[in-house]
Amino acid sequence: MEIKLDPRTKIYMIFVVSAIVMMSATTPLLWALRIIMTMVPIMLLVVEKRYASALRFFALYIIAIILIFYFLSAESTGLIKALLTGYCGIVAQFSPAFITAWYVIHSTKIDEFMSAMQKMHVPDGVTISLAVVMRFFPTIKEEYGSIRDAMKMRGISFAGGNAVKMVEYRLIPLLFSCVNIGDELSAAAITRGLGGKIKRSSVVELKLGVLDYALIFLFTCATIVFLFQKYIKP
Amino acid sequence: MENKKLTAKDFITVGIFTAIVFVVTFVCMMLGFIHPYVVASYVIIMPIVGAIPMMLFYCKVEKFGMITIMSVLFAIIMFIFGMGFLGAPFIVLAGVIADLVAKKGGYKNFKYISVSYGIYCLWICANYFPLIVTAEAYRQNLLDEGYSVEYCDSLFRAVNGKTIIVLMLISFICGYIGAYLGRAVVKKHFEKAGIV
Repeated sequence: MEIKLDPRTKIYMIFVVSAIVMMSATTPLLWALRIIMTMVPIMLLVVEKRYASALRFFALYIIAIILIFYFLSAESTGLIKALLTGYCGIVAQFSPAFITAWYVIHSTKIDEFMSAMQKMHVPDGVTISLAVVMRFFPTIKEEYGSIRDAMKMRGISFAGGNAVKMVEYRLIPLLFSCVNIGDELSAAAITRGLGGKIKRSSVVELKLGVLDYALIFLFTCATIVFLFQKYIKP
Repeated sequence: MENKKLTAKDFITVGIFTAIVFVVTFVCMMLGFIHPYVVASYVIIMPIVGAIPMMLFYCKVEKFGMITIMSVLFAIIMFIFGMGFLGAPFIVLAGVIADLVAKKGGYKNFKYISVSYGIYCLWICANYFPLIVTAEAYRQNLLDEGYSVEYCDSLFRAVNGKTIIVLMLISFICGYIGAYLGRAVVKKHFEKAGIV
Protein backbone atom coordinates (compact mmCIF):
# COMPACT_ATOMS: atom_id res chain seq x y z
CA MET A 1 0.00 0.00 0.00
CA GLU A 2 1.30 3.39 -0.82
CA ILE A 3 0.05 6.67 0.46
CA LYS A 4 1.06 9.88 -1.15
CA LEU A 5 0.28 12.95 0.81
CA ASP A 6 0.32 16.44 -0.50
CA PRO A 7 3.15 18.51 0.97
CA ARG A 8 0.59 21.11 1.99
CA THR A 9 -1.12 18.56 4.21
CA LYS A 10 2.21 17.74 5.76
CA ILE A 11 2.97 21.38 6.45
CA TYR A 12 -0.43 21.77 8.03
CA MET A 13 0.29 18.73 10.18
CA ILE A 14 3.56 20.22 11.42
CA PHE A 15 1.80 23.47 12.18
CA VAL A 16 -0.98 21.86 14.19
CA VAL A 17 1.22 19.42 16.07
CA SER A 18 3.70 22.06 17.12
CA ALA A 19 0.88 24.33 18.25
CA ILE A 20 -0.61 21.53 20.33
CA VAL A 21 2.61 20.45 22.00
CA MET A 22 3.07 23.97 23.30
CA MET A 23 -0.03 23.71 25.41
CA SER A 24 0.13 21.36 28.30
CA ALA A 25 -2.16 18.41 28.61
CA THR A 26 -3.89 18.36 31.96
CA THR A 27 -6.72 15.88 31.70
CA PRO A 28 -6.63 12.27 30.46
CA LEU A 29 -8.65 13.25 27.40
CA LEU A 30 -6.10 15.85 26.42
CA TRP A 31 -3.29 13.39 26.90
CA ALA A 32 -5.15 10.89 24.74
CA LEU A 33 -5.57 13.46 21.98
CA ARG A 34 -1.94 14.30 22.14
CA ILE A 35 -0.87 10.69 22.00
CA ILE A 36 -3.16 10.04 19.05
CA MET A 37 -1.66 12.97 17.23
CA THR A 38 1.78 11.58 17.84
CA MET A 39 0.73 8.18 16.59
CA VAL A 40 -0.40 9.53 13.22
CA PRO A 41 3.07 10.41 11.95
CA ILE A 42 4.43 7.16 13.39
CA MET A 43 1.81 5.23 11.42
CA LEU A 44 2.71 7.21 8.35
CA LEU A 45 6.33 6.22 8.86
CA VAL A 46 5.26 2.58 8.96
CA VAL A 47 3.40 3.06 5.70
CA GLU A 48 6.54 4.59 4.24
CA LYS A 49 8.30 1.34 5.19
CA ARG A 50 10.62 3.04 7.63
CA TYR A 51 10.02 0.42 10.28
CA ALA A 52 13.21 0.92 12.26
CA SER A 53 12.75 4.62 12.85
CA ALA A 54 9.03 4.21 13.48
CA LEU A 55 9.77 1.61 16.15
CA ARG A 56 12.49 3.75 17.68
CA PHE A 57 10.28 6.80 17.96
CA PHE A 58 7.39 4.73 19.25
CA ALA A 59 9.48 3.10 21.97
CA LEU A 60 11.06 6.38 23.00
CA TYR A 61 7.75 8.16 23.28
CA ILE A 62 5.98 5.38 25.14
CA ILE A 63 8.80 4.99 27.65
CA ALA A 64 8.82 8.71 28.34
CA ILE A 65 5.06 8.78 28.81
CA ILE A 66 5.08 5.79 31.14
CA LEU A 67 7.88 7.25 33.21
CA ILE A 68 6.10 10.55 33.52
CA PHE A 69 2.83 8.98 34.58
CA TYR A 70 4.07 6.42 37.03
CA PHE A 71 7.41 7.41 38.41
CA LEU A 72 7.75 11.14 38.33
CA SER A 73 5.77 13.77 40.08
CA ALA A 74 6.14 17.37 41.15
CA GLU A 75 7.83 16.21 44.36
CA SER A 76 10.65 14.32 42.77
CA THR A 77 14.05 15.65 43.81
CA GLY A 78 17.62 14.52 43.67
CA LEU A 79 20.08 14.43 40.82
CA ILE A 80 19.06 11.25 39.03
CA LYS A 81 15.41 12.07 39.16
CA ALA A 82 16.10 15.62 38.04
CA LEU A 83 18.03 14.35 35.05
CA LEU A 84 15.39 11.77 34.26
CA THR A 85 12.69 14.40 34.55
CA GLY A 86 14.59 16.61 32.19
CA TYR A 87 14.98 13.95 29.55
CA CYS A 88 11.42 12.71 29.80
CA GLY A 89 10.27 16.30 29.64
CA ILE A 90 12.15 16.85 26.41
CA VAL A 91 10.95 13.64 24.87
CA ALA A 92 7.32 14.02 25.83
CA GLN A 93 7.14 17.66 24.91
CA PHE A 94 9.19 17.92 21.77
CA SER A 95 9.10 14.49 20.21
CA PRO A 96 5.62 14.83 18.64
CA ALA A 97 6.80 17.88 16.72
CA PHE A 98 10.14 16.27 16.06
CA ILE A 99 8.65 13.04 14.72
CA THR A 100 6.31 14.94 12.44
CA ALA A 101 9.12 17.11 11.15
CA TRP A 102 11.32 14.05 10.65
CA TYR A 103 8.59 12.32 8.71
CA VAL A 104 7.98 15.32 6.51
CA ILE A 105 11.67 15.85 5.78
CA HIS A 106 12.21 12.21 4.89
CA SER A 107 9.09 11.68 2.84
CA THR A 108 8.93 14.89 0.82
CA LYS A 109 10.94 15.30 -2.30
CA ILE A 110 12.45 18.72 -2.66
CA ASP A 111 10.69 19.45 -5.96
CA GLU A 112 7.32 18.54 -4.45
CA PHE A 113 8.02 20.83 -1.55
CA MET A 114 9.09 23.68 -3.81
CA SER A 115 6.04 23.46 -6.00
CA ALA A 116 3.76 23.30 -2.96
CA MET A 117 5.35 26.42 -1.54
CA GLN A 118 5.03 28.10 -4.89
CA LYS A 119 1.35 27.27 -4.97
CA MET A 120 0.93 28.85 -1.56
CA HIS A 121 2.64 32.00 -2.88
CA VAL A 122 5.48 31.95 -0.40
CA PRO A 123 8.30 34.28 -1.53
CA ASP A 124 11.06 32.58 -3.48
CA GLY A 125 13.73 33.51 -0.97
CA VAL A 126 12.06 31.70 1.89
CA THR A 127 11.18 28.69 -0.26
CA ILE A 128 14.67 28.11 -1.60
CA SER A 129 16.38 28.72 1.72
CA LEU A 130 13.98 26.45 3.56
CA ALA A 131 14.44 23.71 0.98
CA VAL A 132 18.20 23.97 1.44
CA VAL A 133 17.84 23.79 5.21
CA MET A 134 15.72 20.67 4.88
CA ARG A 135 18.17 19.06 2.54
CA PHE A 136 21.13 20.04 4.65
CA PHE A 137 20.44 18.42 8.01
CA PRO A 138 21.27 14.90 6.81
CA THR A 139 24.39 16.25 5.10
CA ILE A 140 25.60 17.89 8.29
CA LYS A 141 25.06 14.66 10.17
CA GLU A 142 27.01 12.71 7.60
CA GLU A 143 29.88 15.18 7.53
CA TYR A 144 30.01 15.29 11.30
CA GLY A 145 30.21 11.49 11.38
CA SER A 146 33.24 11.54 9.10
CA ILE A 147 34.91 14.24 11.18
CA ARG A 148 34.37 12.25 14.33
CA ASP A 149 35.84 9.15 12.71
CA ALA A 150 38.87 11.07 11.56
CA MET A 151 39.36 12.48 15.05
CA LYS A 152 39.06 9.06 16.60
CA MET A 153 41.66 7.71 14.21
CA ARG A 154 44.13 10.34 15.29
CA GLY A 155 43.13 10.01 18.93
CA ILE A 156 42.14 13.63 19.48
CA SER A 157 38.45 13.16 20.25
CA PHE A 158 38.73 14.97 23.55
CA ALA A 159 41.51 17.35 22.61
CA GLY A 160 43.20 16.74 25.93
CA GLY A 161 40.09 17.86 27.82
CA ASN A 162 40.25 21.40 26.47
CA ALA A 163 36.67 22.47 25.90
CA VAL A 164 37.48 25.33 23.54
CA LYS A 165 39.68 23.08 21.43
CA MET A 166 36.96 20.43 21.41
CA VAL A 167 34.52 22.90 19.91
CA GLU A 168 37.11 24.22 17.48
CA TYR A 169 38.19 20.80 16.23
CA ARG A 170 34.64 19.89 15.42
CA LEU A 171 33.20 23.14 14.15
CA ILE A 172 35.94 24.30 11.79
CA PRO A 173 36.15 21.19 9.59
CA LEU A 174 32.38 21.06 9.53
CA LEU A 175 32.20 24.64 8.30
CA PHE A 176 34.83 23.95 5.67
CA SER A 177 33.00 21.01 4.18
CA CYS A 178 29.60 22.71 4.40
CA VAL A 179 30.84 25.78 2.56
CA ASN A 180 32.28 23.61 -0.19
CA ILE A 181 29.11 21.57 -0.50
CA GLY A 182 27.14 24.80 -0.61
CA ASP A 183 29.16 26.07 -3.55
CA GLU A 184 28.58 22.85 -5.43
CA LEU A 185 24.91 22.96 -4.58
CA SER A 186 24.43 26.46 -5.90
CA ALA A 187 26.31 25.61 -9.08
CA ALA A 188 24.03 22.62 -9.58
CA ALA A 189 20.91 24.64 -8.85
CA ILE A 190 21.81 27.42 -11.27
CA THR A 191 22.50 24.86 -13.98
CA ARG A 192 18.95 23.69 -13.54
CA GLY A 193 17.60 27.17 -13.96
CA LEU A 194 16.87 28.10 -10.38
CA GLY A 195 16.68 31.85 -10.01
CA GLY A 196 15.73 32.50 -13.60
CA LYS A 197 13.23 35.19 -14.45
CA ILE A 198 10.63 32.85 -15.86
CA LYS A 199 8.19 31.16 -13.51
CA ARG A 200 9.29 27.62 -12.94
CA SER A 201 7.03 24.79 -13.92
CA SER A 202 6.98 21.51 -12.09
CA VAL A 203 6.86 17.91 -13.26
CA VAL A 204 4.92 16.90 -10.19
CA GLU A 205 1.25 17.75 -10.22
CA LEU A 206 -0.03 18.46 -6.77
CA LYS A 207 -3.55 17.63 -5.91
CA LEU A 208 -5.30 17.21 -2.61
CA GLY A 209 -6.64 13.67 -2.39
CA VAL A 210 -9.28 12.10 -0.18
CA LEU A 211 -6.69 11.11 2.36
CA ASP A 212 -5.37 14.66 2.52
CA TYR A 213 -8.80 16.00 3.30
CA ALA A 214 -9.35 13.27 5.87
CA LEU A 215 -6.12 14.08 7.68
CA ILE A 216 -6.73 17.81 7.58
CA PHE A 217 -10.20 17.21 8.97
CA LEU A 218 -8.90 14.93 11.72
CA PHE A 219 -6.21 17.36 12.81
CA THR A 220 -8.55 20.33 12.73
CA CYS A 221 -11.08 18.49 14.86
CA ALA A 222 -8.40 17.46 17.32
CA THR A 223 -7.26 21.06 17.65
CA ILE A 224 -10.75 22.35 18.22
CA VAL A 225 -11.49 19.72 20.84
CA PHE A 226 -8.18 20.38 22.52
CA LEU A 227 -8.71 24.12 22.69
CA PHE A 228 -12.28 23.73 23.80
CA GLN A 229 -11.42 21.32 26.57
CA LYS A 230 -8.54 23.36 27.80
CA TYR A 231 -9.74 26.92 27.71
CA ILE A 232 -13.50 27.05 27.54
CA LYS A 233 -14.95 24.19 29.53
CA PRO A 234 -13.15 24.43 32.86
CA MET B 1 25.48 49.09 -4.38
CA GLU B 2 21.83 49.85 -4.92
CA ASN B 3 19.35 47.78 -6.80
CA LYS B 4 21.13 44.54 -6.14
CA LYS B 5 18.67 41.72 -6.12
CA LEU B 6 19.18 38.53 -4.25
CA THR B 7 20.01 35.58 -6.45
CA ALA B 8 19.51 31.86 -6.00
CA LYS B 9 23.11 31.54 -4.83
CA ASP B 10 22.42 33.90 -1.93
CA PHE B 11 19.34 31.98 -0.89
CA ILE B 12 21.33 28.77 -0.83
CA THR B 13 24.04 30.40 1.27
CA VAL B 14 21.39 31.57 3.72
CA GLY B 15 19.93 28.08 3.89
CA ILE B 16 23.26 26.42 4.57
CA PHE B 17 24.26 28.80 7.32
CA THR B 18 20.85 28.66 8.93
CA ALA B 19 21.18 24.89 9.11
CA ILE B 20 24.65 25.10 10.65
CA VAL B 21 23.79 27.80 13.18
CA PHE B 22 20.66 25.94 14.11
CA VAL B 23 22.54 22.71 14.74
CA VAL B 24 25.05 24.56 16.90
CA THR B 25 22.35 26.25 18.97
CA PHE B 26 20.41 23.03 19.22
CA VAL B 27 23.39 21.30 20.81
CA CYS B 28 23.69 24.17 23.29
CA MET B 29 20.00 23.95 23.99
CA MET B 30 20.30 20.30 24.96
CA LEU B 31 22.55 21.38 27.82
CA GLY B 32 19.65 23.32 29.30
CA PHE B 33 17.93 20.20 30.42
CA ILE B 34 20.73 19.34 32.80
CA HIS B 35 20.11 22.27 35.08
CA PRO B 36 17.86 25.33 34.88
CA TYR B 37 20.71 27.75 35.44
CA VAL B 38 22.08 26.53 32.14
CA VAL B 39 18.88 27.77 30.51
CA ALA B 40 19.73 31.26 31.69
CA SER B 41 23.30 30.91 30.51
CA TYR B 42 22.12 30.30 26.94
CA VAL B 43 22.69 34.01 26.50
CA ILE B 44 26.39 33.47 27.05
CA ILE B 45 27.01 30.16 25.30
CA MET B 46 24.95 30.61 22.17
CA PRO B 47 26.24 34.00 20.97
CA ILE B 48 29.85 32.96 21.46
CA VAL B 49 29.72 29.52 19.89
CA GLY B 50 27.31 30.65 17.20
CA ALA B 51 29.61 33.55 16.33
CA ILE B 52 32.00 31.34 14.38
CA PRO B 53 29.55 30.28 11.66
CA MET B 54 27.83 33.67 11.78
CA MET B 55 31.03 35.60 11.13
CA LEU B 56 31.72 33.39 8.16
CA PHE B 57 28.18 34.12 7.04
CA TYR B 58 28.71 37.87 7.41
CA CYS B 59 31.72 37.56 5.11
CA LYS B 60 29.39 36.30 2.42
CA VAL B 61 26.61 38.83 2.95
CA GLU B 62 26.66 41.66 0.47
CA LYS B 63 23.03 42.56 -0.03
CA PHE B 64 20.12 43.58 2.09
CA GLY B 65 17.72 40.80 2.99
CA MET B 66 19.94 37.83 3.69
CA ILE B 67 20.02 38.31 7.44
CA THR B 68 16.29 39.03 7.41
CA ILE B 69 15.55 35.78 5.60
CA MET B 70 17.74 33.94 8.08
CA SER B 71 15.74 35.32 10.97
CA VAL B 72 12.48 34.34 9.26
CA LEU B 73 13.77 30.80 8.88
CA PHE B 74 14.80 30.78 12.52
CA ALA B 75 11.36 31.95 13.54
CA ILE B 76 9.81 29.10 11.56
CA ILE B 77 12.14 26.50 13.02
CA MET B 78 11.70 27.78 16.57
CA PHE B 79 7.97 27.69 16.10
CA ILE B 80 8.15 24.05 15.03
CA PHE B 81 10.21 23.23 18.06
CA GLY B 82 7.63 24.68 20.37
CA MET B 83 8.79 28.17 21.23
CA GLY B 84 5.40 29.64 20.52
CA PHE B 85 3.85 32.55 18.67
CA LEU B 86 5.21 35.09 21.10
CA GLY B 87 8.82 34.81 20.12
CA ALA B 88 8.51 34.63 16.34
CA PRO B 89 7.78 38.32 15.59
CA PHE B 90 10.56 39.35 17.92
CA ILE B 91 13.05 37.11 16.15
CA VAL B 92 12.14 38.62 12.78
CA LEU B 93 12.33 42.13 14.21
CA ALA B 94 15.81 41.48 15.60
CA GLY B 95 16.83 40.12 12.21
CA VAL B 96 15.58 43.17 10.30
CA ILE B 97 17.30 45.61 12.63
CA ALA B 98 20.52 43.61 12.52
CA ASP B 99 20.30 43.67 8.74
CA LEU B 100 19.80 47.44 8.66
CA VAL B 101 22.74 48.05 10.98
CA ALA B 102 25.03 45.84 8.91
CA LYS B 103 23.84 47.58 5.75
CA LYS B 104 24.87 50.91 7.17
CA GLY B 105 28.43 49.63 7.30
CA GLY B 106 28.11 48.32 3.78
CA TYR B 107 28.38 44.77 5.13
CA LYS B 108 32.13 45.23 5.29
CA ASN B 109 32.74 47.59 8.19
CA PHE B 110 33.48 45.39 11.15
CA LYS B 111 32.29 47.92 13.71
CA TYR B 112 28.79 47.73 12.32
CA ILE B 113 28.97 43.99 11.87
CA SER B 114 29.77 43.36 15.51
CA VAL B 115 26.89 45.58 16.64
CA SER B 116 24.62 43.92 14.13
CA TYR B 117 25.55 40.47 15.41
CA GLY B 118 24.93 41.63 18.96
CA ILE B 119 21.43 42.72 17.98
CA TYR B 120 20.87 39.51 16.10
CA CYS B 121 21.72 37.58 19.26
CA LEU B 122 18.70 39.10 20.98
CA TRP B 123 16.65 36.43 19.25
CA ILE B 124 17.85 34.04 21.93
CA CYS B 125 15.90 36.08 24.47
CA ALA B 126 12.76 35.61 22.39
CA ASN B 127 12.78 32.03 23.59
CA TYR B 128 12.28 33.22 27.14
CA PHE B 129 9.19 35.25 26.27
CA PRO B 130 6.68 32.47 26.91
CA LEU B 131 8.27 32.09 30.34
CA ILE B 132 7.77 35.70 31.25
CA VAL B 133 4.50 36.75 29.69
CA THR B 134 2.69 33.70 30.90
CA ALA B 135 4.85 32.90 33.89
CA GLU B 136 2.18 31.27 36.05
CA ALA B 137 0.64 29.22 33.28
CA TYR B 138 4.03 28.17 32.00
CA ARG B 139 5.07 27.03 35.43
CA GLN B 140 1.93 24.97 35.73
CA ASN B 141 2.65 23.55 32.29
CA LEU B 142 6.08 22.39 33.31
CA LEU B 143 4.72 20.80 36.46
CA ASP B 144 2.08 19.02 34.45
CA GLU B 145 4.70 17.84 32.04
CA GLY B 146 6.52 16.18 34.89
CA TYR B 147 9.28 18.64 35.64
CA SER B 148 10.04 18.80 39.34
CA VAL B 149 9.20 21.73 41.59
CA GLU B 150 12.88 22.16 42.25
CA TYR B 151 13.59 22.61 38.54
CA CYS B 152 10.77 25.12 38.13
CA ASP B 153 11.75 27.20 41.11
CA SER B 154 15.32 27.55 40.02
CA LEU B 155 14.21 28.25 36.47
CA PHE B 156 11.99 31.11 37.52
CA ARG B 157 14.53 32.47 39.91
CA ALA B 158 16.88 32.80 36.95
CA VAL B 159 14.39 33.97 34.34
CA ASN B 160 11.67 36.48 35.14
CA GLY B 161 10.36 39.89 34.16
CA LYS B 162 13.15 41.70 35.96
CA THR B 163 16.06 39.65 34.74
CA ILE B 164 14.97 39.68 31.10
CA ILE B 165 16.46 43.13 30.61
CA VAL B 166 19.71 41.92 32.07
CA LEU B 167 19.57 38.80 29.95
CA MET B 168 19.04 40.85 26.81
CA LEU B 169 21.94 43.08 27.74
CA ILE B 170 24.17 40.08 28.39
CA SER B 171 23.27 38.46 25.11
CA PHE B 172 24.03 41.68 23.28
CA ILE B 173 27.39 42.05 24.99
CA CYS B 174 28.27 38.41 24.47
CA GLY B 175 27.29 38.74 20.85
CA TYR B 176 29.55 41.76 20.55
CA ILE B 177 32.47 39.93 22.14
CA GLY B 178 31.63 36.77 20.23
CA ALA B 179 31.85 38.70 16.98
CA TYR B 180 35.50 39.51 17.68
CA LEU B 181 36.25 35.95 18.72
CA GLY B 182 34.45 34.60 15.69
CA ARG B 183 36.35 36.93 13.41
CA ALA B 184 39.63 35.83 14.92
CA VAL B 185 38.73 32.21 14.22
CA VAL B 186 37.59 33.01 10.69
CA LYS B 187 40.84 34.87 10.08
CA LYS B 188 42.92 32.10 11.53
CA HIS B 189 41.36 29.27 9.58
CA PHE B 190 39.40 30.45 6.61
CA GLU B 191 41.24 33.43 5.24
CA LYS B 192 44.44 31.45 5.26
CA ALA B 193 42.74 28.74 3.27
CA GLY B 194 41.31 31.30 0.88
CA ILE B 195 37.68 30.31 1.39
CA VAL B 196 36.40 33.73 2.27
